[in-house]
Amino acid sequence: MDSQVVQGQVGKATASVAKSKSPFRLSMERFFHNPLAVAGLIILVLIIFITLFPQVFTHYNPSTPDIMNTDSPPTSLHPLGTDASGYDNLARLLYGGRVDLTVAFAAAFMTMFLGTLYGGISGFFGGWVDNLMMRFVDVMLNFPFIILVLVMESILNIASEWMLVLIVGITAWPGPARLIRGLFLQLREQDYVIGARTIGASRWRIMFRHMLPNSMSFIIVLVSFQVAGYVGIDAALSYLGLGVPLSVPSWGGILSTTTDYLTMTTEPYAWLPPTIMIVLTILSVNFIGDGLRDAFDPQSQA
Amino acid sequence: MAAYIIRRLLGMIPTLFVITVIVFLLMHAMPGNAFEALVFNPKIKNAAEVYKRLVAENGLNQSLPVQYIHWINNLIHGNLGISSSLNMPVSEAIGTYLPNTLILAITAEIIILVISLPIGLYQANKVNGKLDVSTSFVAIFLYSIPGFVFALVLIFLFSFLEKWLPSSGTVTPGIATSGSLGDRLTHLILPALSLALPSMAYYTRLTRSNTLSVIVADFVRTARAKGLRRPRVMFRHVLRNAIIPIVTQFGFDIGGLFGGAVLIEQIFTWPGMGELSFNATINRDYPLILGTTLLFAVMVLIGNLIADILLAISDPRVRYD
Repeated sequence: MDSQVVQGQVGKATASVAKSKSPFRLSMERFFHNPLAVAGLIILVLIIFITLFPQVFTHYNPSTPDIMNTDSPPTSLHPLGTDASGYDNLARLLYGGRVDLTVAFAAAFMTMFLGTLYGGISGFFGGWVDNLMMRFVDVMLNFPFIILVLVMESILNIASEWMLVLIVGITAWPGPARLIRGLFLQLREQDYVIGARTIGASRWRIMFRHMLPNSMSFIIVLVSFQVAGYVGIDAALSYLGLGVPLSVPSWGGILSTTTDYLTMTTEPYAWLPPTIMIVLTILSVNFIGDGLRDAFDPQSQA
Repeated sequence: MAAYIIRRLLGMIPTLFVITVIVFLLMHAMPGNAFEALVFNPKIKNAAEVYKRLVAENGLNQSLPVQYIHWINNLIHGNLGISSSLNMPVSEAIGTYLPNTLILAITAEIIILVISLPIGLYQANKVNGKLDVSTSFVAIFLYSIPGFVFALVLIFLFSFLEKWLPSSGTVTPGIATSGSLGDRLTHLILPALSLALPSMAYYTRLTRSNTLSVIVADFVRTARAKGLRRPRVMFRHVLRNAIIPIVTQFGFDIGGLFGGAVLIEQIFTWPGMGELSFNATINRDYPLILGTTLLFAVMVLIGNLIADILLAISDPRVRYD
C-alpha cells in the first residue's frame, strides 16, 4: 500500500500498481457479494420484466372481459380464473404491476428530488433559513397523510397514476428533506467544503459539485427504501379507492374487490397472487436497500 | 423542567396556527360544501331556499378571512363549532371517537415494546448466532408487509377461516356479553396487531443495532471486569444507554401511530379519529375537518415533546436550553 502511494506521488505509477479501485467500485463489489441483496435484485428485475412484457405470459387484455367465463375458477384458459365481470385475473395481475411500480419509482424520485433540494438548501445555509424551513417541514409532517391525499385528490379532481405520483410527491417530501438536511449540516463542516469556500467557489457550486456527490450513496439508499414504502402506500391508496380508478388494473385495486368474505374464503386464487406480488416486490427492494447501505457504509452493520 | 415544558407548549402555538390556516385554505379549495347535496334532494320542496338558509346560518357566505377569524375566536372560547354531518358539537364527536383511537394506539405501542425490546436485546447478545440471522431475516420480511396487507391476512386467517376473532367494530351488537371487557378485547386484537407489526420489526432492528454499538464500549468492559453479573451489566449499563434513540423514536411514533391508524381504522371499521376525519373530509364537514386536524397536530407535537422529555430523563447529559 505504502509503495503505491509513494509511486503515485512521484508520478511513476506503472499500470499494474496505479489501477486502484474507486470507492464506488468497491461498494458495488461488496453489494454483489451479499447473497440477499443479489437475490433481491434478481427478483425485482424479474418482476419488472413481467410487468413490462405481460403479453409474453397472457394473451388476455386486462380490460376486455371474457363474458362467457365470468367468475371462473382456474382453468387452462384462465390460469388464475376470472372475476365476477369476466376479467382475466392473471392479466389484471400482470398489467396491474405497471401502475404500482411506475407510481412507486416515480414518486420516490420526485420526493427525493424535492426533499434533497429543500433539505440541502436548509442544511447548507443553516441559521435562520434552516430554522424557518424546518418549521415548515414540521408543519407538513403534522398532517395525517391519507387525509391530505384525500383533500389533494378532491381539489385536483383527476384520478390517474401520474396524479397519484404528484400527490404522493407533494405530500411525502418532508421526511427525506429532514434527513438530507441533517446530512448537509454535517457535510458543511467537512474540510473539503471549507476548502472550496476558501478558494471562492460559489454556494451553488459547493452544494451541487461538492456536497451532493458526497451524499449520493446516502440518497441512493434512501431512494430504495422510499420505493419499498411507496409500493405499499400506492397499494393501500388503491385499496381504499383513492388511487387509480378501478377500471385500471392495480394490485391494491384487485385486493379491494376480492377481500370481501365470500371472495376471500372461496377464491384464494384471486387475492393471494396480488398479495404475494406486493410483499415480494417490497421485500426485494428492501433487500437491495439493505445491501446498498451495507455496501456504501460497511461500518453500519445494523 | 416545568418552565421548559411551558415554553415548548407555547412554542407550539405558531405551528398550530400555520397548520390550521393551511387546512382552512385547502378544505375551502375542495369543490362542494356540506349542504350542496340538499339541492338535488327531490324530497325537499324549496331546496334552493333551504340551501341558502343553511349556508347563511353556518357563515359559509362570508369571506374566508372572516370565517377563519370567527373560527379562531370560537376556539379561544373553547368552542370547536357544530359538525354538520353528525349534527352534534365537534368536541362531543371527538370525545366519542378519540378514546377508541387512544386504546388502539396504546395497545399497539405496548405490543411493539413488549415484543421488540427483548428480541432486539437477545439478538445483540447472540450476535450473528443462528437466531440472530434468522430473526433479522424475519424482521426484514415482516417489515416488508404493508400494514393493510397484514390486516387482510389476519382477517382472512382469524375471522374468515377460523371464526375466532371479529373483523370489525369495537363491540358485538345484540349479544348478552356485548360491551364487556372480553368482547372489547377480542375486537381490539386484530387492529392493534396490524398497527403494531410494521413498527415491530423496525424497533427490533433499532434495539439490536443500538445495543450492539453500546455493548463494545469501554465502560461495559469495565463493568464486566469488575465482576458484575451479566444481567446487571445488560440492564443497568447497556440498556440505559441503548434505549435513548428508541425513546426518541417512541415519541415521534405517538403521532405517527395516530396518522397510520387512519388506514387500519378504515379496514376494521374501527370508530376512531381516522374514520371521523376521513368521513369529515368526504362530507365537507368544515368544523369537523378543522377540529380533527387540530387534534392530530396537537398529538404529533405532544409526541415530540414527550420524546424530548423522556430523552432528558434517560440521558442526564441532555440539557434544555
